[in-house]
Amino acid sequence: MNSMEMFKFRIRRYKPGAIDPPRFETFEVAVGQDRSASILDCLEQIRLNQDPTLMYRHSCHHGSCGTCACQINGTPRLACTTKLSQLSADPLIIEPLEGFDCIADLVVNMDDFFKDIDCKWSYLQTDQSADAPPPPGGITTWSRLEDCIECGCCVSACPAVQVNSAFMGPAALTAVHRQYRKFRQQRERLLAIAGGHRGVKGCHRALVCSKVCPTRVYPARHIDELRRQLKTPSST
Amino acid sequence: MEHIIIIGGGIGGALAHDLTLRGFRVTLVEKGELLSGASGRHHGLLHSGARYVLHDLKAARECAEENGILRRIAPDALELNDGLFVALNDADMALWDRFDEKCHEAGIIHTQLTASQTLALEPELVPTLKGAFRVCDAVMDAWRLPLQFFATALSNGARIRTFTEVISIQTSGRSIVGVEVVDHRFNRVETIGSDLVVNAAGPWAAKVAAMVGLKIPLRTVPGVMVSVPARLNRMVINRLHPAGEGDIIVPQRNLSIMGTTAWMAEDPDSVQIPRGHVTRLFELGKQLIPRIRQYAPHAVWHACRPLLDVGPEQDPMRISRTSDCLDHAERDDLEGFVTVLGGKATTMRAMAEQTADLICRNTGRDRHCRTRKAALKPYRAYYEYH
Repeated sequence: MNSMEMFKFRIRRYKPGAIDPPRFETFEVAVGQDRSASILDCLEQIRLNQDPTLMYRHSCHHGSCGTCACQINGTPRLACTTKLSQLSADPLIIEPLEGFDCIADLVVNMDDFFKDIDCKWSYLQTDQSADAPPPPGGITTWSRLEDCIECGCCVSACPAVQVNSAFMGPAALTAVHRQYRKFRQQRERLLAIAGGHRGVKGCHRALVCSKVCPTRVYPARHIDELRRQLKTPSST
Repeated sequence: MEHIIIIGGGIGGALAHDLTLRGFRVTLVEKGELLSGASGRHHGLLHSGARYVLHDLKAARECAEENGILRRIAPDALELNDGLFVALNDADMALWDRFDEKCHEAGIIHTQLTASQTLALEPELVPTLKGAFRVCDAVMDAWRLPLQFFATALSNGARIRTFTEVISIQTSGRSIVGVEVVDHRFNRVETIGSDLVVNAAGPWAAKVAAMVGLKIPLRTVPGVMVSVPARLNRMVINRLHPAGEGDIIVPQRNLSIMGTTAWMAEDPDSVQIPRGHVTRLFELGKQLIPRIRQYAPHAVWHACRPLLDVGPEQDPMRISRTSDCLDHAERDDLEGFVTVLGGKATTMRAMAEQTADLICRNTGRDRHCRTRKAALKPYRAYYEYH
């Protein structure tokens, strides 16, 4: 039997001209005592049962689209895969992703995030797992969508981005490196981007990008690899 | 050209794309984020059509055709590793010949595999399996693939307004002349005039139709999905049996997603995940891939299928997955209003084509559909154009 328990949420509200300046509002949500509900489940309950004007981004509900990232108790996380059982504070503080322009409530503007990721760069990778059996006839290599879901958590957490607005940040550099690995003929151009004034030299090696990444992309490793390639470009 | 308002940011994206290519002026309004209702919230299967061959050949054929088209126009948002329909026991094997025959009939390319060939491809499958068919299922990024329709529509001049909710539909006599919306960003109400309104609100389409006093044949059929944090298969794994609960494991990135349950609901806004569904999905999932039971859920969620109510069928698994568009001028004597219903994420482009054809007929425009061939813009272009 999963009886109910009340959870308190302090949500930062903002609507230009309507809830302005921003303020925190408190909501209470009843959730099952096993605490398996996600933060997104709770936001849905608040919107559907208490305040239909509450704005947040969401789509896939399972950590693949990357739309629902927000600050949960001060840390950038996905609302859909963060479960109440993983959190201890009461009340829970929910705010829009730090470092992004807030459009309203928990919705931030992602346009700048994509500015340094060429929209034509590939979003597919080859499945590299060592235990993969050979694919059947008609399929050259097993393919896989990229692990980076472009949620913005790494950029939000990066202290270097906050002090240097020119730095393109961990997500874009990770995208540069992925493209570099996939397309030999583009390597020179991509290394020039990584080595440029907005590239890897902006990184302070704080490594928080890797720590907060919800899909274990470890952006810091990609940045390190770009640094290595800038020193000695690999021939393979 | 006529100004068309599309209500709903799911399959509405494919419709905005089609209509802008045919020269219409388009404004799409979505009450929340794009794809936050049904179209972005599924397990990500791009159907080969094989799931439907045993009971719904029309849906099977539609899926097969759209599968081929989406592979051509949006290849970068698809894991193209095919799928298997796995027979686990003698009861499943009893369907073997019929499945084979029906796949032929639907034009679905399929290959028969022995048990050992199947296990060589997918070693995590239960070793006692009897055999499998290989089909051209694929995995789509449920957000990025449809986002390509929105990106392309934007680049062709469509206006797309998220967090903009329709609160009433404006009429003049028996004609629709626009919609009243609330822009949630500013809590501001405004009116948008139009020549035609398309209700593409999916599970919420009945609520939209009710704003002008209409009833539409919609069945809201929610389903639960569970992801586990490990990729146990490369191909889509289906159970070879009549469509039922928990008969699919869709791999995606580093996840395996078990789907799906089904029940009838009245209101898409008050659906709760029923007790026992998660346990049931694990029970059924482990029959296909035993190791899946070792994992705790990574996410548990539901989405509402907006199905077309075409008859007395009461089994939610067997209600047809075909789609239709309702011309309310003809059906209800209300000019300038069309509802598109039913279908699946796999067939969103076809639903858009069917709806845009109807709109062209009604407006006397002789414009042909171009979406079968036109490659879509990359999804990231959405952030450039909006």
